[in-house]
Amino acid sequence: MRQAGKVFAVIAVAAWSIAPFLWQAVTSVKPDAELARLPPLLPVGPTLEHYRAVFTGASFLRIIANSAIVASSATLLSLAIGSLAAFGLAKLRVRSRGLILLFVLSASMFPPIATVSPLYLVIRALGLRDTVWALIMTYTTFTLPLTIWVLTNFFRGIPEEIYRASLVDGCTPFRSFVRVMLPLAAPGIATTGILAFIFSWNEFLFALTFTATDASRTIPVAIALFPGLHEVPWGDIAAASVVVTIPLVLLVFLFQRRIIEGLTAGAVKG
Amino acid sequence: MSGREEGNRFVLPAVLALSLVTVYPVLTVLYLSLHRKLLLFDITEFTGFDNYRFLLADDRFWNALGNTVYFTTASVSLELLLGLGIALLLNRTFRFKGLVTAVVLVPWAIPTVVSAKMWEWMYNSDIGLLNHLLGMKINWLGSPFWAMNAAVAMDVWKTTPFVVILLMAGLKLIPGEVIQAARIDGAGGWSLFRRIILPLLMPVILVVLIFRTMDAFRVFDAVYVLTGGGPANTTETLSIYAYKVLFQTLQFGYGSTLAIVVFLCVGAMSLLYLRALKAEVGP
Amino acid sequence: MQDEQNRVSRRTAGGTQTLAVLITAVFVLLTVPGCAFDREQHGPSDETTIIFKHGKIAGDPATFRRLLDRFESENPGLRVRDETLPASTDEQHQYYVINLEGGSTDFDVLSMDVIWVPEFARAGWLGDLSDLLGPGEENAFFPGPMRAVTMSGRNYAIPWYIDAGVLYYRKDLLEKYGFSIPLTWEDLVATAQEITRREPNLYGFIWQGKQYEGLVCNALEYIWSNGGDVLEEGRPVLNTARNAEAVRFMRELIVKYRITPPLVTTAIEEPTRHLFGSGRALFMRNWPYAWSIFEKEGSAVRGKTGVAPLPSFPGYRTASTLGGWQLGVNRFTKHPEAAKKLVRFLASPASQKALALSVGYKPTRKALYKDPDLLRQQPFMTSLYGVFLQARPRPVTPYYMMISQILQPEFSAALAGIKTPEDALASAQNQVRHLLGERP
Repeated sequence: MRQAGKVFAVIAVAAWSIAPFLWQAVTSVKPDAELARLPPLLPVGPTLEHYRAVFTGASFLRIIANSAIVASSATLLSLAIGSLAAFGLAKLRVRSRGLILLFVLSASMFPPIATVSPLYLVIRALGLRDTVWALIMTYTTFTLPLTIWVLTNFFRGIPEEIYRASLVDGCTPFRSFVRVMLPLAAPGIATTGILAFIFSWNEFLFALTFTATDASRTIPVAIALFPGLHEVPWGDIAAASVVVTIPLVLLVFLFQRRIIEGLTAGAVKG
Repeated sequence: MSGREEGNRFVLPAVLALSLVTVYPVLTVLYLSLHRKLLLFDITEFTGFDNYRFLLADDRFWNALGNTVYFTTASVSLELLLGLGIALLLNRTFRFKGLVTAVVLVPWAIPTVVSAKMWEWMYNSDIGLLNHLLGMKINWLGSPFWAMNAAVAMDVWKTTPFVVILLMAGLKLIPGEVIQAARIDGAGGWSLFRRIILPLLMPVILVVLIFRTMDAFRVFDAVYVLTGGGPANTTETLSIYAYKVLFQTLQFGYGSTLAIVVFLCVGAMSLLYLRALKAEVGP
Repeated sequence: MQDEQNRVSRRTAGGTQTLAVLITAVFVLLTVPGCAFDREQHGPSDETTIIFKHGKIAGDPATFRRLLDRFESENPGLRVRDETLPASTDEQHQYYVINLEGGSTDFDVLSMDVIWVPEFARAGWLGDLSDLLGPGEENAFFPGPMRAVTMSGRNYAIPWYIDAGVLYYRKDLLEKYGFSIPLTWEDLVATAQEITRREPNLYGFIWQGKQYEGLVCNALEYIWSNGGDVLEEGRPVLNTARNAEAVRFMRELIVKYRITPPLVTTAIEEPTRHLFGSGRALFMRNWPYAWSIFEKEGSAVRGKTGVAPLPSFPGYRTASTLGGWQLGVNRFTKHPEAAKKLVRFLASPASQKALALSVGYKPTRKALYKDPDLLRQQPFMTSLYGVFLQARPRPVTPYYMMISQILQPEFSAALAGIKTPEDALASAQNQVRHLLGERP
């Protein structure tokens, strides 16, 4: 009896989590005529016309490319700068380390709305409006606190003896960082990389502000401002949503444990 | 022999980059908030605390603050309750546990904009899934009463997974022996939860609570995409109000004043958070 | 040996770190294939391509293209590429603002909503077009749009086509129950109440009440037709008894007289047009575009629809909000002369007539309302002439868009009954004063 209750609860929770996405998937294969009425719930004559509509013209592909470029560049840069800092904070002597850690933590709590307008002015002054650079710069720095925080924990977890031994073998701290510590911290790098990527892929406020055309527009902005003539093209939006969400769902299923680890380290562990 | 603080230069790039997106902007926003600045017409006049004085009399600001507080309170408390329930459930052993956990994580990974569009479609009053399932004709996003609650429901769906994960991490920290011992003492079900699990979980709950409150308080994209702040500004949060003033009409003076208010509120919460964190981790 | 190596590498360590970051940066650079830099327009050197940005043109896109083809054949060496902006005018506005603010040269000619021109001109984004009009030619246009494109005696845009709020009514139903076209709002209420009482399934009066620019257009028509206004000599005059009375009347149409269904508080033009078009409403406030749709074959209200000026409150004149689109030249354009040529061509009597015949856009030149071809095809244009002549532009000020952002939620709150009209207007007054930099 209790067992049955548990099974039921688990199924309910899973359904609640996945149902809206499934509904979006169903919507994306319904022809327009069927979208204008409900029931039936399931498509009578499923069609791929919405996917075709979305991929017609260069626009959507360009936007996906923008998102991929922005998210992967920002992730790489953030990992490069962040792991250096984390290594320094974890293994080397740093002036006012406590203060820096506190600064990193508070930086992660900054409300974006308080920073978006000055950054807009900076980006305008640099002539980077409506370029992917504006977003790469922003996302790199905004994912830094997470990268530093999680990786510092990782580097701390590597036994001091290993680091010492590498120094004795004639490595400089930097060489030791690249050759010895970085490989050992690979799991942590993967964790933070995934989280930084998801953050950059999903970000909206800055993307909305810094981009104006397909030259730099990313997926969230494109979906929010989906063009329509008189009515909202729900079928096309659903198709686009499914396309851009599938990579994320895959990430979740493949790297579930890493993501959980990263989220927990980012918030709960000191 | 080697440099006494050889870590400095490792840390320097990160600190510089972070300052660029935190310290510099906040100082700029503070400076702008003391001006009447209309970017469109190149108008910049120093007006002292005029913007702040106006803010106190601006009922659109108070409305936005009220909306933000309501949104934050409602969504965070629901997320905690629901999250706790799901965390306790997933903490047990059952088949396909990994798969179910991944499924539960899905809403968290979906871009906020996409979730907002998904829910907007389900909320459609004529042909939406929700009204069909409920057999009702509720104008979810058009009625001043429902719109904010609809936004809360979406946020709860989207963010509960995050709460679940943190709470599950907290549950793992509770030693099995403690629970075993309590079981032997005859505690079961509800009393086990109330007497043993809840108190031990409290520090984590506190951290989650403050963390989520901070996050919900600065909410922008979820509500902006779902309702745009309407109807009649009943869903306009502080961030949305500030954004509209800043970027629909490029009024950087008063917009900055609003941004400063969000910053101060979240700042106060983060102080609480840092204290809670310290208390949990210990000195 | 090892010590030596150690020393060297330690000395270069600082450099190596910088190098590592640089390498990452270069790597990232390489993965970004020329996104920021490939937006220049390339064309054959002997040809100039003008980019024309505009909202969606009604009807078949080929019709408009034919007009542009004619321009190209009349002006050898000039090509026109027209690019359509997103559907919502708010998005179009944001597109222009963000791009012109950054001095974009991505387009040369732009079409603008009538309310944007003072703002864009004040921001210094529009080329001076005064020399495009011959002596006295400004008198050939309707006065409303001309006023909206003129700043300190200079013209910054040329009116392209015109719009104004009008009252649609069901001719057949008024006749059936013996009512005449209402001249005052009171008449309209009485007529609608009586006829909806006897006709089941009929809404009395529908209009656009969603929180957006159209709500301001609607509200101003009540405010103006009650002797009220938003600005007087550049200063806000919102919290007056006249304005409050007008806004209260809008709310009462829904809750007291019950001739307007609550759905108007979320309605824009098209939903109301659909309702009226399917025969489910007696009166509707809308723009003239709906007329030709109602008169199409198969329309449920074909031949049963009339158009009249909007009613007014007793003792005041009817007022109709001016809409429509204007043509301007991007001040940063590299081809100002060619751009001006295109504006001149599109605003010419011949082009306006062609657009009126093909897609029903109402000309801004008064003389065309006596054109025999046009009158034969669209006889109802004569009845619009008076409305267009009287149409009032929304406050002609560079601050209009910001003022409207303030008014929309306040009007919406008053309609929804969240605020009293007095509170909403007082709040709006306060905000507009602050915006205009008036000290408390």
